[in-house]
Parts: sequence; C-alpha cells; structure tokens
Amino acid sequence: MDNSSTLHLALPAVHTAASATAPPSLAQPRAFSTSVNPLVFFSILDHYLRRNAGQDRVIGTLLGVRSEDGSEVEIKGCYPVPHLETEDQVEVDMEYHRTMFELHKQVNPKEVIVGWYATGAALNSYSALIHDFYQKEVSSFHAVHLTMDTALTNERLGVKTYISAPVGITSKADNCMFIPIPCDVKYFKAERAGLELLANAKSTESGSTTLLSDMDNLEQSVIEVQKMLERVSEYVDSVLAGTVPANNTVGRYLMDTVSVVPKVDAAEFEKMFNSHLQDLLMVIYLANMTRTQLAVAKRLEKLM
Amino acid sequence: MPSNKELSAALDIEGTVPIHSVQLDAMVVLKIVKHCRESIPATVTGQLMGLDVNGVLEVTHSFPMPKNNQDSEDDASNYQVQMMRCLREVNVDDNSVGWYQSTNMGNFMNQSLIEHQFEFQQALSKSVLIIHDVARSSMGNINLRALRLTPAFMKLYKEKKFTTEALTKAKLTFSNIFEELPITIRNTALLTALLYELETADESVEVSTSHLTTYKSTASAPANKSVLAPSFDVLDLSLDPYVAKNLENLMDTIDDHHQEQGNYAYWQRSVERENKKKAAYLLNRKTENARRTASGQTALADEDVDAMFKAPAEPSRLDHLLISGQIDNYCKQINEFAGPTLGKLFAVGELQK
Repeated sequence: MDNSSTLHLALPAVHTAASATAPPSLAQPRAFSTSVNPLVFFSILDHYLRRNAGQDRVIGTLLGVRSEDGSEVEIKGCYPVPHLETEDQVEVDMEYHRTMFELHKQVNPKEVIVGWYATGAALNSYSALIHDFYQKEVSSFHAVHLTMDTALTNERLGVKTYISAPVGITSKADNCMFIPIPCDVKYFKAERAGLELLANAKSTESGSTTLLSDMDNLEQSVIEVQKMLERVSEYVDSVLAGTVPANNTVGRYLMDTVSVVPKVDAAEFEKMFNSHLQDLLMVIYLANMTRTQLAVAKRLEKLM
Repeated sequence: MPSNKELSAALDIEGTVPIHSVQLDAMVVLKIVKHCRESIPATVTGQLMGLDVNGVLEVTHSFPMPKNNQDSEDDASNYQVQMMRCLREVNVDDNSVGWYQSTNMGNFMNQSLIEHQFEFQQALSKSVLIIHDVARSSMGNINLRALRLTPAFMKLYKEKKFTTEALTKAKLTFSNIFEELPITIRNTALLTALLYELETADESVEVSTSHLTTYKSTASAPANKSVLAPSFDVLDLSLDPYVAKNLENLMDTIDDHHQEQGNYAYWQRSVERENKKKAAYLLNRKTENARRTASGQTALADEDVDAMFKAPAEPSRLDHLLISGQIDNYCKQINEFAGPTLGKLFAVGELQK
C-alpha cells in the first residue's frame, strides 16, 4: 500500500498500514470492520457454480445490518444479480436488483443493502463503476465490496472485503481505491452445529453425509474431548520428562482449566447425582408408559 | 452425456418411481437453519426447489416465505411467482419440490399443516415437507426431518371420512400418517475447499487483514482459533428447560386428547339414546299393532323408523389421530433426549472420582 503523502484518503481509520498516514483525528474513532455469516459464502459459491457459460465473474448484492454509527457492518445474506461484462462495457440488471430487494424485505424487513460481492480476485475499473452504483444505493454509509477468489489462486479461497475511497485529482466514478478492511465470520450457535455436520462431509468421497442422531453426535464430541485430553497429557508428560521446554502461559492456562472442574464433597455429589438421575428416569418411565398406552389403543382400534 | 433413454428414466416423467430419500444441498441446510432461528418463537415456512432423480429428491435451493397471516392467498402466491421468476434468471432450478416449516419442541401436528401438505402433495406427487426443530437444534445437533403423507392417508383425506370403520379398513393409525425419509447432505467441491479453509487456523498474524480472519473465541486459547474449532454445546448438562417444556406440552396435548375422548363418548351415548328410543318406539308399535289386530282394526303402516330416529353423525376422528400422533412424538423426543443425557450424567460421575 503506497503511503505517498500526495494521496488524499478520506476514510475512517482502518487496520492497515495505510492508516499510518491518516491522522487519528479523522472521521470515526472506531475501526470499520465487517462480519460475515458463512451462509453468504455458500450462496456465492452456489451462484458461481450456476453461472452462464462464458461468464467469468458473477456479482450480487449483499444484505445485512449495520451498527448505529455505521462502523460495524454485519453481512447476513445475499442474492445474485445478473450482469454482463464485455470488453468495453458492463451492464448490471438494476431492475432485477430492486425487485429482489423488495421481495427480500418482505421476509426480513430489517436487512438493508450494505454492498455487493464478486467472484474472482481482480479489481478492475468495472468494479469501480459497479461499486459507484452500489454506493449510491447505500447512500450515507460506505458500501462494502466482498470478493471471493474462486479461481483458487495461491490455493486459497481468499475472501477480501473492501471499501472504496476517492483518489486522484478529479472525482470521476472509476477513480477510486479499494481499501481492505477486516472481516470476521459470525454465526448463531445452531448454525455452528450445521457447519460441523457439513465439515464431516468433506472427508468423504462423494462429499455427502447423513444427519447424525443425538447419540452419535454426543459420541463424536466425547471422542473429541478424549483426544484433546490425550494431547494435553502427552504435552505435560513431555514437559516433565524435560524433552519439551516448559511454557509458563500454557502451564498456567492448563491449571486454570483443570481447576474449573468443581470440587464437590463426595456425599453432596452422590445426592445431586442420584436426584438428577431419578428425575430423568421418572420422566422416561412416564413417557414410555404413555407410549405403551397409545400403542395398546392402536391395536385395539385395529381389532374393532 | 447420458443417452435420452437414461435421462428420461432418471427424470421419471411418468412419476412412477417412488421417492425413497432426500438429498439436501449444504446451502439449503444453512438457509433453513438461519431463517428459522431468526424468527423464533414464531413458526415460519419457506419453499424448497430442486429436482428428483432416480428416486432421490435433490433439494438445491430454498427461499423463505413472508410470514404475515393477514395476507390473502394472492399475496403469498404473488411473492412466490415473482421469486421463482427472479431465481430462474440466475439459473437456479425453479422446480418446486416441497416446503419447510420450523417448529418448537415438535408441536407441528395440526390441521393446517396436514391440509397444506395434502394440497401440496396433490399438486406435486414428488414433494416433501422438512421440519426443523429449533429448540432441539440449540443443543448441539441439527434436527431435520423429511416427511410425506402416506398414500393411505391421502386417500382418506380426500374423501374426508374419518369414521372408525373407515380407519380400521384402511389400517390407518397415528403412526401411519407420515412416512419419514432419510436425509443426506451434499457438498460441492468448491464448498469442500471452503470448509477446509475455514478450519485451518489463520497463520498470518500480521496487521494485513486481507485473509479471512478467524472467529475470535472469548477464551482466547493459544490453541487453534479456526472457525470450526470444536464447540461443546452438546455436552451441556442442564436438564430442566428442555424436559420441563416437553412435559408441559405433553400434558396440554393429553388434555386435548381427554377432551376428544369426551366428545367421542358423548357421541356414543347419544347414539345409544337414539337406538333405545328407536327400540322403544318399535316395541310400542308392535304392541300397538298386536292390540289393533286383536281388536280387528288395521295395523298401522310401518313408518320409516330410521328417518325418525336419525343417529347423529360420528365426529371426525382426524383430531384424535393427530393428537395421538403428537403425544407419541413428544414421548419419543423425551426418549431421544434421555439417551445422551444419561451418558453425560455418568461421564460426569466418572470425572468426579
């Protein structure tokens, strides 16, 4: 990032080296950052897979919510927008964009347009034009541009988020610089369980997996915990044997973790354990009795 | 490129191959979870799209339906038509294959759901209903079920005759209303790459934040900070909220069941009364006739007895079926919950020693 003093960057303080030139009293004191729901990535990939033959890049709109002062943007959803890119011009179907936004608003009235996405890592003048269009849509706040490198350069699906700032002498639409901003991944707890399930699939041949019953899920978690404990105890053993240099922070952290296990008096624990167990067993018994009753009624009805 | 014969066999134009399993795209799973989670405690619905191939129903896309109840039918179908048209432009399969609904604690067996599913299945024989249980999914495992109405039930529903003898003839009980299909989840290759990437920790700790940064855990452990670092929600020991709610629902449903029984018993009693009255009247007639013939008068004509003593119609047993099914569902849920909980309990016991 060129820190030439002749560049006039009108931007909020961001976490890049470029911010060294921007005086700290400029604009918002807090950093401009985004967080993304993993669903957005999945949708982008899906759209990319469905693109028309001959299309290199696909674009779409990002929807989300932003905090009150506009510095934190949470990208929650997206939808694809058809566009056409030729050598000398680019067309974006604005009508479609508006219609889809209206439809989406019916379901999620709180989500607003926060930016746009594109696949492919390159940022060219078309990006600047499209970004300008989206900036008009977003009005008073900065529009966010997210790129996903589907060509897998550097063997990574690099995801980058940018905002743009005008640069240069004249303020033409394509005179702008894209400034990268930090991006987090945020999701609900339930989605996390879904992600783990999907992650299971990645090791299978065909990329598919079945739903796990609760028992199986528990078994997997317990195995995970066991593995972690094994790793930790191996580490501790090797430190004691002197093969691995001791690390104070790690040691202290381990001690904290182990001491979190509550030390309950044995008799107390027996009582708690038994009462908990009894509650559970009683409920199971009643539930099973109800089921048996229904089953008997079912058989009787059949006989009638 | 598969030959025409193979392709038409796969696409099953006549609709003869029954569906035996459902394959969901990974994106659909996440979309359903996100939509349902955002709208608790209200239940929400949405449409599924995809294609059925060789007896497997592949669901490739979904979109949520707006949940305003006051809207007329037109608005909802308008939304749907517009949405499908837009999606077609971006090459999404716009073939509707079913719908999904969120539920809380498994209380989804009611009339409106059955009606909706019936209409859907009438229109499209290859359709499926996906139920996502939001409450159960917060305990570390996604809960999705794919259901269809059985053909026997569909036939009976069409005729709308739910008398006891019709039910016994069709051998229909509460466990036969729905048939459940196994679900598999599919990831595309790019998606697999994405999942791998999310899992590996971010090596570049420098200030440049151009990579995908990792999810900051609150414990700030020196261990891996990747997005898919293991979470242990499933090892939570709390018993009360889930079981208590389940039991509450169970008791409510049993109350409903009791009421249903009461109605049925009332009907039976009224039939008995009618029958008794009919018998008494016939007896009266007979004695009357005997008296009259004995005294030489003509016997009274046999009136249409049945028209006079009309037995009231049997109440529909559909509610009874649904309620029993619901009770069964709750009990099964308790069982399924209890299994892992017992395991966890004993694990903690061992840990304490």
